[in-house]
Amino acid sequence: MTIDAEHCLTCGDRAVAARVQSVDGLEAVVAVAADTERVAIDLVPEARPGDLLLCHAGIALERISEDAVR
Amino acid sequence: MKYVDEYRDPGLARGLAAEIRSLVTPGEVVRVMEVCGGHTHAIYRHGLEELLPPEVELVHGPGCPVCVIPMGRVDDAISIAETDGVVLATFGDMLRVPGGKGSLLEAQARGADVRMVYSPLDALELARREPDRHVCFFAIGFETTAPATAVTLIRARAERAENFSVFCNHVLIEPPLRAILETPGLKVDAFVGPGHVSTVIGTDAYRFIPEEYGRPIVVSAFEPIDLLQSIAMLLRQHAEGRCEVENQYTRVVRPDGNPRALAAIAETMEPREDFEWRGLGALPHSALRVRDELASLDAERLFTLPGARIEDPKACRCGEVLTGQIKPWECGVFGTACTPERPLGTCMVSSEGACAAFFSYGRLRRPREEASEKAPIGA
Repeated sequence: MTIDAEHCLTCGDRAVAARVQSVDGLEAVVAVAADTERVAIDLVPEARPGDLLLCHAGIALERISEDAVR
Repeated sequence: MKYVDEYRDPGLARGLAAEIRSLVTPGEVVRVMEVCGGHTHAIYRHGLEELLPPEVELVHGPGCPVCVIPMGRVDDAISIAETDGVVLATFGDMLRVPGGKGSLLEAQARGADVRMVYSPLDALELARREPDRHVCFFAIGFETTAPATAVTLIRARAERAENFSVFCNHVLIEPPLRAILETPGLKVDAFVGPGHVSTVIGTDAYRFIPEEYGRPIVVSAFEPIDLLQSIAMLLRQHAEGRCEVENQYTRVVRPDGNPRALAAIAETMEPREDFEWRGLGALPHSALRVRDELASLDAERLFTLPGARIEDPKACRCGEVLTGQIKPWECGVFGTACTPERPLGTCMVSSEGACAAFFSYGRLRRPREEASEKAPIGA
């Protein structure tokens, strides 16, 4: 998982919000900035294309509520 | 950038700063500890202290997992890395952390096969690609990172990986919070709770803070607007005579966290009897080990480790910084013998460490009037 150099990956303060492009079993391809990454979705297996996920250390930790964001 | 700019809006920040000013009582200092190193970093990076009135004092807490790892565990990792046929994989921040025998980066320079990965799953992938070598993942982090290790262990077990193990150093957030809350002469009135740890454990996990210790806590996200709003929420609790757990990070954090993540952790790891924390000493049930059922994936059972307990350098006051007793610049070696390029203590290693964050953003602490003593909020 790409993360900017100003932040520490270890504690994931900047766990990345990433949009799901496709899902294949327990792996999802997500859009991060101008790139795509593969993340494990074992913890959010209900993730579907279009969902916004909080991703950290190669796995999705949670789905982000876009209603709350707005 | 969508979902970032909204949380850095200068107009909103000014409005929240004005609200915070309206909520303080002149001369009555409220000490707010941000538990998470990510918050510490954001506070310095965005200069948030400059927006706060002198009555709000921010205290930097122990929530940087790199900073709390004792030197002996780094030496254990180096010992694994220097074993023939072994690849030691870990997060980049761990590479520069000084142990008693130097850092992993120095071990790499001596010939050890140390590699940086972004995920424990990447370490497992390394093991698949290099079946002739044993890949050990040096796992650190709070409950945010533990689920990734747990998922990796579950996958490694499923595929019967024989050349992969985890050197588990995951730590838990509740024991250090209790240790801080039980510190004699505690100088913390309220807490800003960690955001992504809470994604996993949920806000209900913090109920002991108001219920047993009479301090409020607001779980917060990491952008400037988030942090200012969280501080305002804490002050509003004080003004309204409340003392409870509140959630500012509602867009991700739920009261019960992520039950699947908690189940994955429980399936693969269990609490240790105790674990040594830099600055806090040995805390019971404060860290995780690999479960007996996964012994073949546990580096602590596969390798003979030195297991030495190493004292911090005497000049280093990381322990006092981590528990909020002193500010980074009050340490005698800050910025002189201890810099991000040549860190003496771990608070200077990680970008999340209070010393590194303060050093990097070069902020001079504004003059403050002497903090006057006051009763904890909600007590």
